[in-house]
Amino acid sequence: MDSHEKIIQVMNLVKKYGDFSAVKGIEFHVHKGEVFGLLGPNGAGKTTTLEMLVGLRKPDQGTALIGGFDITRELKKVKEVIGVQLQSTSLFELLTVEEILHLYASFYPKQVSITSLIEDMLLTDKRKNRIKSLSGGQKQRLAIALALVHDPWIIFLDEPTTGLDPQARRTLWDIIRLLKEKGKTIVLTTHYMEEAHVLCDRIAIMNQGELIALDTPSQLVKNLQSDSAVEFRVENESAEVDLHEIEGVKQVGNQKDAYILYTDDLQITLTSLIQLATNKQLKLTDLQTRSATLEDVFIHMTGRRLREG
Amino acid sequence: MRAYWQLTLSQLRIFLRNRQVLFWTLAFPIFLMTMLGSFLGNGNGISLSIGVVDQDQSVQSKDLVNNLNKNKAIDIKKENNEKKALSKLKKGDLQLVVIIPKGYDLSLNGSPSKTEPFSLPVYYNETDMAASQVGIQLVNNAVDGISKEKVDYHPVVVTDSKGIETLNLKYIDFLVPGIVAMMIMSNNMNGVAGQIAAWRERGILRRMQGTTLKASTFIAAQITARLVLNGMQALIVLGVAHLIFGIEVRGSWFTLISFVILGTLAFMAIGFIIAGIAKTPESAAPIAGFLSFPMLFMGGVFFPIKNMPEFLQPIVQILPIAHLSHALRETMNVGASFMSLGTEAMILGGWLVGAFIIASYTFKWE
Repeated sequence: MDSHEKIIQVMNLVKKYGDFSAVKGIEFHVHKGEVFGLLGPNGAGKTTTLEMLVGLRKPDQGTALIGGFDITRELKKVKEVIGVQLQSTSLFELLTVEEILHLYASFYPKQVSITSLIEDMLLTDKRKNRIKSLSGGQKQRLAIALALVHDPWIIFLDEPTTGLDPQARRTLWDIIRLLKEKGKTIVLTTHYMEEAHVLCDRIAIMNQGELIALDTPSQLVKNLQSDSAVEFRVENESAEVDLHEIEGVKQVGNQKDAYILYTDDLQITLTSLIQLATNKQLKLTDLQTRSATLEDVFIHMTGRRLREG
Repeated sequence: MRAYWQLTLSQLRIFLRNRQVLFWTLAFPIFLMTMLGSFLGNGNGISLSIGVVDQDQSVQSKDLVNNLNKNKAIDIKKENNEKKALSKLKKGDLQLVVIIPKGYDLSLNGSPSKTEPFSLPVYYNETDMAASQVGIQLVNNAVDGISKEKVDYHPVVVTDSKGIETLNLKYIDFLVPGIVAMMIMSNNMNGVAGQIAAWRERGILRRMQGTTLKASTFIAAQITARLVLNGMQALIVLGVAHLIFGIEVRGSWFTLISFVILGTLAFMAIGFIIAGIAKTPESAAPIAGFLSFPMLFMGGVFFPIKNMPEFLQPIVQILPIAHLSHALRETMNVGASFMSLGTEAMILGGWLVGAFIIASYTFKWE
């Protein structure tokens, strides 16, 4: 991995809003040609980080090099090599797909062929339609097309699949894979764990403005040091119970009123849990077992789920 | 440069496709012009309805009524009943009631050396002083004429009044330039403020900020597109005014267009300030309304500025709309040249520069 060319180098990036530090001096690299995921619960600082990288917010401290250009001093050069799709952007509703692509293309010195771009984004039969009439997924693909009009090296996608139906999400995944095949570097934020797992080469997890983990998805799960998770709720939570006493338990996670036990030996842990519950007269509900996922990595590290509620 | 043309083109497309906005921004001024023009536009200045209750029914009294009728400004309504006439006066249907009492004929035909003149009751409504004053003046003139005739009076000195304006201007001539000025104000000030605030809220501006587009290019394109649109709208309104009321542009089109452009730029700059101040698109409309509403009534759009109370005059004199409507009016009605309207151009220019400077400080992409 380290032999890869570093196309983005983030150096001690800090953003403050008054007394509140949204981003607290994060550092990471993104390799050329990879899909890099930025994960974290709401308010973790993902979007702020992304916005600083694309030049929409000025960092209070630190900087980043994107394609060799400094985001604080050579923003215009940076903007020429990056494409952005922002969260909840709306477009000129009364223009057609083709018109808005020509409009955005005119903002840059270099452009790609609009016709083939429309084809790549599966919008050919919609090219004469007004943006107003597009579906959510089509609008999102158009937003990505707008990020690609000037043939950038790096594409920033802020929650590209949020609010889309499963079918539209899968179409978008295919598009992101296509972009990767074409040699683009992609930085995306997401709420969806399985999306990060299938799409991303590497994942950075952010929590409360800090970078708390950065690795490949499989390595992150492996670092959890347990294969299985046991999840349950306790209805009558009166007695003091130390869940660490349960046999085989390596880690205990707590998510609202639900507990998660991480273990390598599911059978022993389960037996021991039932025994403990009987002894202490605990009433277990919603008991389920599953293999550990990225979501568990996340809960373990942040104490929160990606999507609360 | 390509970005500038593309943005201008896109903005014009958005204008033209937004049919409803396009229709109503045009329909309102045309409707207003047609309504006001039809009610008030005919007749030369004030027209008065005077009720006459002829209780005498004599040759002399009929003579008086005919005398009054000679004046074109007066519309004589014959009333039979004094009470009914007075109640109509109260309602405002009549501006003046003249009562010719019984014995009028006798009194006039009596001895001319009689020292006591006959008194003719004239009722007026104090709530409508302007009309009453003019009306009483007119009745006085008519009565005066009869008196003089009766005493065989030969005047020594006469006044010879001649109107300076040979153009025979009507209210509609006053109104049309005002309507054009109003349209320029509301389309630009309210239009820019609303649109920019909405685009900011919806993140459209932020998305463009993420590209290499320069703010100056964006603003230049906005201005160009609005100038084209305003020019067309002004032409349509003038065209309608020409067809319905026969209004003509007596001055040069160059001067007229120069002031349309100047007015557009000045009000757009004010609109950009409002867009900068307004936190949400919802608050942009009331702020723009707060500024445009007083300007509509104090800026010489519907009524001449000199009718405004004295204490308002200093305020009225600095309003941009006052100078825009005045300049358009002078150009269209009198045919004033651009050079003779230097003061108006300077004041509008001052507003433009001042507002533009403030706007550049208050403008935010997000």
